[in-house]
Amino acid sequence: MTGLLVTGAGVVSAAGLGLTAMTTALTAGSPLRLDVTGLFPQPLPYRSAPVLASFDARALLGRKGTSSIDRATALSLVACGQAIEDSGLPVAEMADRVGIALGTTVGSLSSSSEYSRETLVAERPYLVNPMLFPNTVMNCAAGHAAIRYGLRGVNSTVAGGQLAFLGALRYAVNVLRRDYADAMLVGAVEEFSPHSAWAHQRLGHEGPPGEAAVIVVLQRPGTPLGDGRRPLAELAAVTSGYRPGGHAAGPGGRMAACIRQTLARAGLQAGQVGSLAVSETGGGPVGQEMLAEAEEAAAPGGSARQVRVRHVLGDCGAAASALQFVALLASFADRPADGPPVRPALLAGWSPEGAFGAAVIREPAASPAAV
Amino acid sequence: MSRNGRAAGPRVVVTGLGPVSSIGVGAAAYGQSLRAGQVGVSEIRSFDAAGFPHRYAGEVRDFEPDRLLGRLDLTRWGRSSQFAATAARLAVRDADLSSAQIEAAGLGVVMGTTSGESQVVEELTARAVAAGGGQAFPPEVVSQLPAARLAYAASEELAAPGLSVTLANACSASNYAIGYAYDILAGGEAEAMVAGGADSVCRWAHAGFYRLGALSDRTCSPFDRDRTGILTAEGGVALVLETLEHARARDARIYAEVLGYGLNCDARHMVAPDANRIADCMRLAHANAGVKPADVGYICAHGTGTAMNDHAEAAAVRMVFGDDPPPMSSIKSMLGHAMGAASGFGAVAAVLAIHDGFLPPTMNWANPDPRFDWLDPVPNRSRPAQIEVAQNNGFAFGGNNCITVFGALR
Repeated sequence: MTGLLVTGAGVVSAAGLGLTAMTTALTAGSPLRLDVTGLFPQPLPYRSAPVLASFDARALLGRKGTSSIDRATALSLVACGQAIEDSGLPVAEMADRVGIALGTTVGSLSSSSEYSRETLVAERPYLVNPMLFPNTVMNCAAGHAAIRYGLRGVNSTVAGGQLAFLGALRYAVNVLRRDYADAMLVGAVEEFSPHSAWAHQRLGHEGPPGEAAVIVVLQRPGTPLGDGRRPLAELAAVTSGYRPGGHAAGPGGRMAACIRQTLARAGLQAGQVGSLAVSETGGGPVGQEMLAEAEEAAAPGGSARQVRVRHVLGDCGAAASALQFVALLASFADRPADGPPVRPALLAGWSPEGAFGAAVIREPAASPAAV
Repeated sequence: MSRNGRAAGPRVVVTGLGPVSSIGVGAAAYGQSLRAGQVGVSEIRSFDAAGFPHRYAGEVRDFEPDRLLGRLDLTRWGRSSQFAATAARLAVRDADLSSAQIEAAGLGVVMGTTSGESQVVEELTARAVAAGGGQAFPPEVVSQLPAARLAYAASEELAAPGLSVTLANACSASNYAIGYAYDILAGGEAEAMVAGGADSVCRWAHAGFYRLGALSDRTCSPFDRDRTGILTAEGGVALVLETLEHARARDARIYAEVLGYGLNCDARHMVAPDANRIADCMRLAHANAGVKPADVGYICAHGTGTAMNDHAEAAAVRMVFGDDPPPMSSIKSMLGHAMGAASGFGAVAAVLAIHDGFLPPTMNWANPDPRFDWLDPVPNRSRPAQIEVAQNNGFAFGGNNCITVFGALR
């Protein structure tokens, strides 16, 4: 068991700002589709998509330090700010011991691709804007988050596509376990752009792509909680692995084994999981198989509620499993004080290449000191 | 020397090296080039550099993945993934680990990168420019985009069942990867890991560094008074790390011990390094490794060849090591700056320095910089030395500092 505590969440999605906006949209269940035809100068493969159509980075973040940042970085910064505020983490008092692990697919594809495009279409290939160069590097958002919020501890960017959040989570658990930090911001980001939209469409994925940034605060037990705050959940275990040959090669059972191992580390058995979320990206027959594999391992006989986000928020790439994670997290917060305990939740993910991972969260112990 | 105060847990050693670089492919060729002061810089061929004022880079000219790989279907993977997989295969071969041992050890892979599949981004971009939009993206190329595939390619090539993750911490990413793999072994979660990094030369980085005023014309001369900047480079690099117990049980050759590492963030500027924070990072690395500054016999520098880096790195060394710092050389004077692979190449150099008893040189060096004339950059010629502890510096955009520490096995 990790004993680590989730103490805050920040969510920026097509549903708006904050976790409540997201859960409200998920409860309503209707697809969020906003007109995207006027958002970019380039042609798009979709007329509408689940995006933050009126997202205004300057209004939310101010002018200072925002003049040259890209959309992925801006979304991340807003989510980081929310998560820090939600947790009440006294960052300034512990700056050397606070870090970030942020999941991504390729950073900002629009930033790197537009930079590359300038080398082709400018009068001279080197007439690129030096101010925008850092945006092409994948750790741009995490670097800006450190500067803006004074996060002087471990700063890492995990490239994991649909497994990015689980990758960042496992990375952060390692950092906290090894005592390299006391608190980590953990999350993932994906921006909507013409580049990512075409990439999504050309891969033949169903439905439109979306965009989101999600950050949670993960702390070592015994580290300071914000005034009057209670932990939102305990992260019980996180595990990951790789299946050579890929998941399309027929039933593999390796993700099921990973899920069983994760449950065992959390001191749980199959059937004790109350809610379950599995990667929705990629879908298709392999997706169905992986979902079945996860259900069989964690909740045989359909004994767990399945949490989906994609039909409402679109395919949010690296941020997709982070959205699922906070949707699972919200189920703990919804419980009335005198209500029955909420059963633990499992997040499982896989990539077409063959990677997979799983994490279990559960209600925090009544007294944080007892954890 | 003191190695007290280290976290409890299994000791971790390096048993395999797999450099795929502009100065050599494989541990033997790479080591010989480091010793000989071989410079791997050449005129750019990976893209049409005709319109650029500067046209040199550290490309891997004799990269023949099809001759070196065992399992990977090359048609499905981009150049950086092929670098990562080839480096991993070479490292595992060097370590003499069998498929059965890979499976039984729960071998995992951690790869670092700056720009992932940058050549795939550039190919898609060129197609979009030609066709007037992304409708021209070929799906089989789009599927090669995700940077996570660098680690996946290595896991696939090795049929490795453990964790497979790519860390995108820019130019210190390989050190992050080595540190994370070390933690996983020291934490008892696996018995063997492959860690390293990969990146490919690309137009946009060449243009970006040029416009930052950081790109040299054809010579990289770190720590020289008249330095002119970096040269972009590419390659893949991997190290096999094992618990000491696992390595001894199979009677493996042990190059060196991973003593520990340190990491922190400047949290001040995206591009400019911060000497004070680099010094802090060195102190964290030493504490984690259980060594004192006086124990360190060699520093493999970040040493990009820019004035900004030279001054910050030298100042930090002075703060931590005082009046008597160990020799510090930059292998980027030979390789160029291989971005996400750079600190992995540095790690291999540090490990070979310990194992083979020599200091790699800083090539192209002519005049001391008056701001740090005390520095011994091991100018222009490698030299024999017995190294007990070597420190490998890695700094990056985003203020991502990460320093690894290796020691002779004692």
